[in-house]
Amino acid sequence: MQKLMLLPALLLIACGQESPDATSDSADEIVLLEETHLVENPPTYESEPLPAGLVWVTNSADPVFASPNAKRGGTFSTYMLSFPLTLRMIGPDSNGGFASVLRPNHMMGLVDLHPNTLNFIPVLASEWAFHPDGKTVSYRINPDAEWSDGTPLTADDFLFSWDFARSEHTLAPFYQDYFGDVITKLTKHDDHTISITGATAKPENELLYEYSIWPTPRHFHKLDANWVQDYNWRVEPNLGPYQVSRVEKGRFIEFTRKDDWWGDGLRYMQHRFNPSTVRYTVIRDMNVAWEYFLRGEIDAFAVIMPNYWHEKAVGEPFDKGWIQRIKFYTDTPQPSQGMWLNMDDPTLADRNVRLGLAHAMNLDRMLETLLRGDYERLKQHYEGYWDYTNPDIGPRPFDLDMANSYFDAAGWGQRGPDGIRVNNGQRLALSVVYGSQEHTPRLVLLREEAKKAGVELNLQLMDSSAYFKQILEKKHQIAWMAWSPGLIPTFWQHYHSDNAHIAQTNNITNTDDPEVDALIDAYREATDKESRVRLAHEIQQKIYEIGMFIPMYKVPYTREAYWRWLKLPEHYANRTTDAIFSPMTEALFWIDEAVKAETLQARSEGRAFEPVYIEDTTWRVQ
Amino acid sequence: MRLNPQTIKQWRRFRRIKRGYYSLIVLIALLIMTLLAELLVNSRAIVVKYDGEYYFPTYADFHPGRTFGLDYAYETNYRELEAEFERQRGSDAGVPDSGNWLLLPPIPFNPYETDFRDDAFPPYAPSLEHRHYLGTDIAGRDILARLVYGFRLAMSFAVILLACNYFIGIAIGCAMGFFGGIFDLLFQRLIEIWSNVPFLYVIMIVASVIVPNFWTLVLVMVIFGWMGMTWYMRTSTYKEKAREYVAAARALGASNSRIVFRHIMPNAISIIVTFIPFSVATGVTALTALDYLGFGLPPPTPSWGELLAQGTANLQSPWIVTSVVVAMTVVLLMVAYIGEAIREAFDPKQFTYYE
Repeated sequence: MQKLMLLPALLLIACGQESPDATSDSADEIVLLEETHLVENPPTYESEPLPAGLVWVTNSADPVFASPNAKRGGTFSTYMLSFPLTLRMIGPDSNGGFASVLRPNHMMGLVDLHPNTLNFIPVLASEWAFHPDGKTVSYRINPDAEWSDGTPLTADDFLFSWDFARSEHTLAPFYQDYFGDVITKLTKHDDHTISITGATAKPENELLYEYSIWPTPRHFHKLDANWVQDYNWRVEPNLGPYQVSRVEKGRFIEFTRKDDWWGDGLRYMQHRFNPSTVRYTVIRDMNVAWEYFLRGEIDAFAVIMPNYWHEKAVGEPFDKGWIQRIKFYTDTPQPSQGMWLNMDDPTLADRNVRLGLAHAMNLDRMLETLLRGDYERLKQHYEGYWDYTNPDIGPRPFDLDMANSYFDAAGWGQRGPDGIRVNNGQRLALSVVYGSQEHTPRLVLLREEAKKAGVELNLQLMDSSAYFKQILEKKHQIAWMAWSPGLIPTFWQHYHSDNAHIAQTNNITNTDDPEVDALIDAYREATDKESRVRLAHEIQQKIYEIGMFIPMYKVPYTREAYWRWLKLPEHYANRTTDAIFSPMTEALFWIDEAVKAETLQARSEGRAFEPVYIEDTTWRVQ
Repeated sequence: MRLNPQTIKQWRRFRRIKRGYYSLIVLIALLIMTLLAELLVNSRAIVVKYDGEYYFPTYADFHPGRTFGLDYAYETNYRELEAEFERQRGSDAGVPDSGNWLLLPPIPFNPYETDFRDDAFPPYAPSLEHRHYLGTDIAGRDILARLVYGFRLAMSFAVILLACNYFIGIAIGCAMGFFGGIFDLLFQRLIEIWSNVPFLYVIMIVASVIVPNFWTLVLVMVIFGWMGMTWYMRTSTYKEKAREYVAAARALGASNSRIVFRHIMPNAISIIVTFIPFSVATGVTALTALDYLGFGLPPPTPSWGELLAQGTANLQSPWIVTSVVVAMTVVLLMVAYIGEAIREAFDPKQFTYYE
């Protein structure tokens, strides 16, 4: 479900400032919640009357998705590759890997998506209502909601988020734009009612998704010039089920489950977040973490990578059933992994070259050999967006005859002495920029196969920040990358001429096509779902025809290995589950202490259980 | 050419130190072999006889598969062609022998190509049957081929680096010692400051801004590596300059350049020679370390550092890490033996009464 949480897609972009030096010793100490001196007179905001005639809706009819058999208790141990640079939610260095653990508890949304029906379900808001202007939504805040320190959640906490994010002291440029440009107005109607107005009108479900905000504990934050430093290591009160309870810098962070969490009363929160304690230990190398896992010191391990699954997740602990494995197919928007061709490049400006290149990519061979048949071919940029995905679009196959005819048509008919095509003395050599050493073997394979079509790919492995910089400045020829998916396709940022030929925009292919522009404009203006779906299909067809994106692969499942004392509901996981054993997001699993004792006993005696391998295809998309 | 009797004596002394002498022979043999690596380790055949004609593909333009009756326009896969000829001979028992044959290099793989099998996934363990004598890496490339080409690259890198460093180092060091005074003082301070620039960080920064190639790496390494030699040259020039023969040359009216190049330099050269093997070792390890960290030559360049990184990340395929560690240890050991032998051979003190 993490992928579809309301915030991360937006939040993860905010990053990259330098951290100010923590000069004083006191700013470096961990301050747990109990020790925090809270602000005495937190800010309050004026109310405005609520317009009449709103229709309030909620959702209490969808099925619950956790198991009533779940037991509370136990300690769930997992690992992180590095210690976070801060415990703040926003500001410098707050967007590291650990943010995905902290944010679900701290930056809770008003509503969330049901992981199976994809309808919206209440979280902090108990009801919501759409305004006739098409861009405003009102929310009734659940009166039971309270911060970890017992302070009730009020509308003022939401309005404070605006001032907080836009404050010069928090050093959060991304949020400064978000509040103001994306969200244009926040209104308080009474202590438990607010309205959010966005910049443009959208269909209802997109309003809920795209104009989302979160509350900030205004009684906790004293905004001044030292805020960034002072709040680096202060544990903030939150609204979620877990609160940081122990920290040892550089070594571990421990969370404790709240005994009487207000959210336990919510229909869709019941029987979730079961471990009493969750401990993240720093293990700086994945191979080492795997050894810890085999010893039972880590409870579960995500094994998406083929070499881990096939080479490492085998042997005694698996054969004797101490560790179990699950492969769970999901149905959710896929990251768009592939090659993005910069059409401002004179060679790639020719459509025939682009299509020739697409037919020269031997993806099937890569998937069968290097990736062991574990990954699947991605069909197009917008795959897995349910109705919005055009089902008629497929990838261009590896076909040397097709590639040859396209290259010949583009004037690259001759081959040079090394077998690479030439045209007016220029070789058909294109550089591919990429940012991960792990991907080198994949690109090496594509490069060797592409030589058969007479095209040379020069691999440019770059450090990740330089890599993004080069792509966003549109200095690449071919970019090997993936955009993380949203809930609904967004075309303007990637394909509209507004964003072409200028640096720092997401139109990295420099697509500049009047027909595509017209379709995208129509898509953005349409507010009914039917026409938006139709326009989305048309745009995807145009993208396919222009051929500026060569789709590569997707991983439409999650795969985990876990000790047998971790228990799952009967349906294991949900349609949009991102990680089965992620304790802070969906968190359906629980720990069975009796089974744990039994398993550890069996391991010391070398006794075997029935080995378990689960493959669930309930949500597999054909 | 007439050698200086002193040099002849040093050479004799060097030959007497067996460890260093044999290391030198083996290393030179290896270097010559790697210069001819295309004939020994290559996917292209050395010679093909097809339809009565001879082809020598190694150093020639590529031959598309059609040349040899295969059905594709890209470069011939000579291993497949060999199998094809084999098959023709086997099946066409009645037909007269076409006389087609080809000779593949002993290691019939180039360092870039990925070789996959249908029944297994890379990395493949060493196997005589598949002619991967040291196995393949995780991308299915032959490790031996990558070791050989990586060795050639690392050695040429080290030698070019050494030549550049020594040229600049000797020139500046000599000038400092010879001219002395303000010039010397100025350069001493400059070198001291320059030596304190953290060179590894500079490489990392450079590598993150541009994709380094062979020559940019050499350039960066030279910019931060020429200082080492200056100190030695400066001291020995100072020493030689004060000798009578320099005063005599000056009295005879010799120019500065004549004094430096004809009189001082030959006498200071022994110090340089003893440093050479160790500088080669430094060059090889520097490139390997940078590649290991991912700041070296861009993939898919064959490189020992990259193999080492792969090996340590895939310890369950021990042949990767074993091959590269053994190769590296052997080469560095040989270089160290040579260096040791040279140092001993050039040592003017042959006996000591204190031993």
